[in-house]
Amino acid sequence: MNQLLSLPAKIELRHVTHLYVTTSRAFMAVRDINLRVEEGEFICLVGPSGCGKTTLLSLIAGLEKPTAGKILIEGRPVEGTSRQVGYMLQQDFLFNWRTIEENIFLGLDIQGIRNRETEAYALHLLEEMELADVRKAYPSQLSGGMRQRVALVRTLACQPDILLLDEPFSALDYQTKLKLEDLIFSALRRHKKTAVLVTHDLSESIAMGDRVYILARNPGRISSEVVVPAAIREALPFDARNHPGFHELFHQVWKEMEVVSDAAK
Amino acid sequence: MQPNEIDAIHRSHLRQAARQRCLIVATQLALLLLFIGVWEGLARANAINVLIFSYPSKMWQLFWSLMLDGSLLPHVAMTVGETVVGFLLGTLLGTLLATLIWWSPFLSRVLEPYLVVGNSMPKVALGPVFIVGLGPGLLSVIAMGCAISVIITTIVIYTSFKEVNPNYVKVVQTLGANKRQTFTMVILPATIPTILSTLKVNVGLSWVGVIVGEFLVSQKGLGYLIIYGFQVFNFTLVMVSLAIIAVVATLMYQGVAVLERLLTRQFQ
Repeated sequence: MNQLLSLPAKIELRHVTHLYVTTSRAFMAVRDINLRVEEGEFICLVGPSGCGKTTLLSLIAGLEKPTAGKILIEGRPVEGTSRQVGYMLQQDFLFNWRTIEENIFLGLDIQGIRNRETEAYALHLLEEMELADVRKAYPSQLSGGMRQRVALVRTLACQPDILLLDEPFSALDYQTKLKLEDLIFSALRRHKKTAVLVTHDLSESIAMGDRVYILARNPGRISSEVVVPAAIREALPFDARNHPGFHELFHQVWKEMEVVSDAAK
Repeated sequence: MQPNEIDAIHRSHLRQAARQRCLIVATQLALLLLFIGVWEGLARANAINVLIFSYPSKMWQLFWSLMLDGSLLPHVAMTVGETVVGFLLGTLLGTLLATLIWWSPFLSRVLEPYLVVGNSMPKVALGPVFIVGLGPGLLSVIAMGCAISVIITTIVIYTSFKEVNPNYVKVVQTLGANKRQTFTMVILPATIPTILSTLKVNVGLSWVGVIVGEFLVSQKGLGYLIIYGFQVFNFTLVMVSLAIIAVVATLMYQGVAVLERLLTRQFQ
């Protein structure tokens, strides 16, 4: 155990504080966040809106630089965006002037690594997502769930080890969302990715995550951490929701959320 | 309901729509013919001053004779050429300037008051300056056609650059894009529809610039013909030139509209 801890974590946040400064005020988005994510782990961040969940993702992605504290990926400080980290947004934001195929090659174009091999890998991912037959179509011809799957392929095509998911299911209808959760969950597990999921949906966080962090707001900080037991953790999200222990765990997280919401009042 | 019934309803809807279209085109043609007929009739009955307003059949005669002796087409070609060059330059320079100030937020804030002044300024008032600077000829006319559209193009396109959904930018940034890639892969393609619709406005603006430019300096072109006809009191020539401008400017506008449709098909 001691040896494990001495290894650098996949993602580590040390005393991270971040401020947004405008002409009218300086606003503290998150304060003194300490977080450790091991390789291959799936962690979820939940909390009321304005608790700095998305800020944390932006910081880990290197889109912003923390005002204070350190963010380390495999022990190295984050300096700007990196190929190692993929980011998925709430909506797909596919480029409607590019075909599906050209959309999933976007990252390859940007990173200058587009060749026969990487293209084949991206198309293979598209096939895994059961979208091989729409590769020549345009995004406007696809449904919301299909588009979000394409967005995932676009992110995975660059082969990041870490995936940051910013409420990627929130814009979908319930049935599509459940199906997509299973699909993404198994894809990430198969490709051994480390993932951080931000969500409003408590049951989603329990069904998908290995650990759930509950954040409080004003300023954003970690209020508590819930470890999901192995039986629920290992099941597919859809089956996890039907697991006998699921309801109890949901209740526990719910209570933690109540604490956070009451404190904010 | 049977499939053939559904089909019949669809067919009758199509027939109805076709009939509507025919009616609209027929009414449009009738209005035009009525206008020409009334004009001709009033002129022949001496109800309007023929010297000032001329009349269609006389215009047609003049048009035909000018066409036959080959003296009209060089004027048309000249004006169309100047307009096309002026409008392309205006759009191109405007887009470049917009790119420049998008690139550097500092520059955009520095240049802001100058753009506001440049936009408020009636560009045709710069005519004498162009003539002195560029000589009384083709260059001045083109400069006018370009000047009239360049600032507004810059402002419209820069605004549309800024209005591109920041999440698209976030997507490419997380994939590691630099500023140049962000511009060529997101900002520019996302604003192509705006740029093309600016083009449509610019066609009209460039016509204004070029005609005014020709009023001031040129020896050739439709603007020159109008001024010449005015000076020698040949209003038939003025009217013929106006009619040609109306037709050619419309054709040009439609050309750009077709181009817009072709290039933005994927954006729907």
